Amino acid sequence: MKNALKTIACTLVALIVLDVLAALVLVGPAPASLKTFFNYGRSVPGKIAQWKANPDLRGNLLNVSWLPDLMDLSAEQAAARPAGDEPVVHTYGMSFVVRITDAAQKARPDLQLAHRGGPGAPPNFTYAAFLKDRENRRPGDVAVLGILSYSVGAMGSFSNRTWVFEQPSPFTYPIFLPDGDGGLREIEPVVETLEQEMSLEDDPDLAGRWYDQLRDQDRVFAPAAFDLSWLDISPFARLVRRSLAQGDIAGRKAEIIARPEDGTMPYAEVLRRMITSFNAIAREDGQIPIVLLVQGRDPVDPDLKALLKPWLEEEGYPYLATADHQSPRDPRAFLPDGHYQPDIDARFGQAFLEVLDRARQETPPAR
Amino acid sequence: MLFSQLDFWYFFAVVFLLYLVLPFRWQNRMLLVASYVFYGAWDWRFLGLIAFSTVVDYLVGLSLARTSDETRRRHLLTISMVTNLGLLGVFKYFNFFIGSFVALADGMGMSVSIPVLYIVLPVGISFYTFQTMSYTIDVYRRELEPAKNFFDFALFVAFFPQLVAGPIERASNLLPEIMRPRTVTWEGISRGAVLCLIGLIKKVVVADAISPTVDTVYGMENPTGAAVAVGTWLFALQIYCDFSGYTDIARGVAKMMGFGLMRNFAQPYFATNPQEFWRRWHISLSTWLRDYLYISLGGNRQGKRRTQVNLMATMVLGGLWHGAAWNFVLWGGYQGALLVLHRQFFGRRRGSGEGERRRLLHWGGRLLLILAYFQVTCYGWLLFRAQSWEQIADFTARLATIRLSDFANLPLPGLPFPAITGILLVLFWDIATEASGKVRFYESWPAPVRGLLWAVLIYAFAFGATTTPSAFIYFQF
Repeated sequence: MKNALKTIACTLVALIVLDVLAALVLVGPAPASLKTFFNYGRSVPGKIAQWKANPDLRGNLLNVSWLPDLMDLSAEQAAARPAGDEPVVHTYGMSFVVRITDAAQKARPDLQLAHRGGPGAPPNFTYAAFLKDRENRRPGDVAVLGILSYSVGAMGSFSNRTWVFEQPSPFTYPIFLPDGDGGLREIEPVVETLEQEMSLEDDPDLAGRWYDQLRDQDRVFAPAAFDLSWLDISPFARLVRRSLAQGDIAGRKAEIIARPEDGTMPYAEVLRRMITSFNAIAREDGQIPIVLLVQGRDPVDPDLKALLKPWLEEEGYPYLATADHQSPRDPRAFLPDGHYQPDIDARFGQAFLEVLDRARQETPPAR
Repeated sequence: MLFSQLDFWYFFAVVFLLYLVLPFRWQNRMLLVASYVFYGAWDWRFLGLIAFSTVVDYLVGLSLARTSDETRRRHLLTISMVTNLGLLGVFKYFNFFIGSFVALADGMGMSVSIPVLYIVLPVGISFYTFQTMSYTIDVYRRELEPAKNFFDFALFVAFFPQLVAGPIERASNLLPEIMRPRTVTWEGISRGAVLCLIGLIKKVVVADAISPTVDTVYGMENPTGAAVAVGTWLFALQIYCDFSGYTDIARGVAKMMGFGLMRNFAQPYFATNPQEFWRRWHISLSTWLRDYLYISLGGNRQGKRRTQVNLMATMVLGGLWHGAAWNFVLWGGYQGALLVLHRQFFGRRRGSGEGERRRLLHWGGRLLLILAYFQVTCYGWLLFRAQSWEQIADFTARLATIRLSDFANLPLPGLPFPAITGILLVLFWDIATEASGKVRFYESWPAPVRGLLWAVLIYAFAFGATTTPSAFIYFQF
């Protein structure tokens, strides 16, 4: 027993020494990639606090994609848009949607684009952006609703901060759930603006209500990602947190994905209702709605084509499913960061133009 | 409940605490209940299969001891074999044989329609049926006294650390451990903890991190020869770290409770020939096949030709044991052919004279042989991992026309840094074990150095712990 205790003591001492050395290396000469790797394990409040304290920090996502800011920008652009201008293609999505429509614009330079998106934004963000941007679109415009397979599992979330642990962009969005009348019930987040986010440290009441809402209503919220921020001082604790938080989040997402119709977030039904509403509103406003189903490379993501294509066909809603034009199972189709290769995006862009032209023929411009 | 999930460690913490406070007899009953809970967490419906197999073999064992009538003894053995092989046949091989028969009939121009049963494969069925069969055969051969206490025997069949992926324990080893009081010691706990830690590094840091790259290669339609080679090398690492990692954790958990499970791997990729490989890889299966199949077929006692047939038959059936698919049969045939060829050209004495050869071969020569035989092993893994005959043919052709320049431009994601760290640690561990000839090479080191080693291992594990735990590959067998 004496020997065992001696070994345990030596192990603990060595662990502490290693941890202190790692901490010193990380504040000093470590390569940037290693620093980033260890930063991934900081708590979400720890990462956000770092960004607040150092706005120039590389990879700072603090002021990215807040919906009110996006809408302000959109309103400014709409106000500056001359009457009788060419129709604009308004995209509501994420980088994938931007890349595809940019590729379409490359093939057809007169295409006017206006992007409203967030990194990896889930459908509840894109749909909320579409709703809030209604005043800024005109008859004859095109509205593109982007749905990314990777973020469908996060439809029960208020913010990327709860489900993208490594890069928790704090921008927020509502959660939509089916109501009893075939529509959607909207739950607004307690924190809706960057200003509110910045005031959290000085407003314990707001911070408390926000934490309670995330804990109680966000279906992907993992306590390991948020609690005990003071442990961020230890690189070892960051590694442990990263593992626990990632595992917990992935488990929660997997539970949601496994039950598309009857789980705590019946995302298949919510998506169908969102798309129905999207089409109805756009058509009511004399616009052309196009749904863009983007299948990412991760095989655990829901198969959007299988989930929605038959229904979209049945309803006659214009759509583009990337999986119709490129198998997501071919790794050569992707860049290392997970986006599609430029030539594949060009192919999607061409397909988008075909869908757009077809939709325009079926739904003549309202002007 | 996977060893690499926190759920298992919560479960084990409760079991271990109960184990510490309970008296010996109650320890065994608690372990039996825990084992059934562990298995039931995967699918409680299949608990009945284990219970059925247990009752049949327990009764057969007792009956075998009570009679000296050889005819009756053979009948009793037959009952056990039919029961266990019948369970395997229905749950593991039924659809395979039906499907193969239909395909054969189609090939001969006959239209046959036989309904396919949608049967879920009970996890670990091949492991526990082989374990109970070895018990009955040993009792039949009068090499083992039957278990008198039903609960002890039931625990032997269902002991949770090795229930779903081995090692396939012999009754002569595990039953006495179950039947005698055991002592929990600091030494056992620390040795067990080390095994668990190195097992977790193998599984979580290496195997799970490599898995997506391997899946990518084996999911590609037109990979380059270089991609096939790299994917297959990585699969060799993956399957070793996955399976031996499981075994290490199983042995570690058992060791903490005072059980000594058999070693299942002995640095298999340091083998220089097929005979040596099979003395190092999945030892509990290879010795099972040797003792209960190869020797029963006559072994090497009936001439050269018959020995070759016995070797081939043993390895083909060993391949089929892994799964109900023709590529496993092909892999078994490949391994059998290697053994036959090795025996033919190098002879038995030379093949088994590892120590002698070690003296003869310069370390550089041995290293070259190791690297060369690793490629031979890897081709076997290609057969094992491939998803179809077409893929085997396609990948083989691509390997045959491999271009070195393709290695510079691999269309594969790079391995994460923690995985590379893990691979280096596993390599260090195996080299240290091989070079010292001691499984616990570290025990002669001073406490501070040992402490540093454990700290590095703990840090490495935390460094590489990934997001979603994957199931162990051998669960499906």
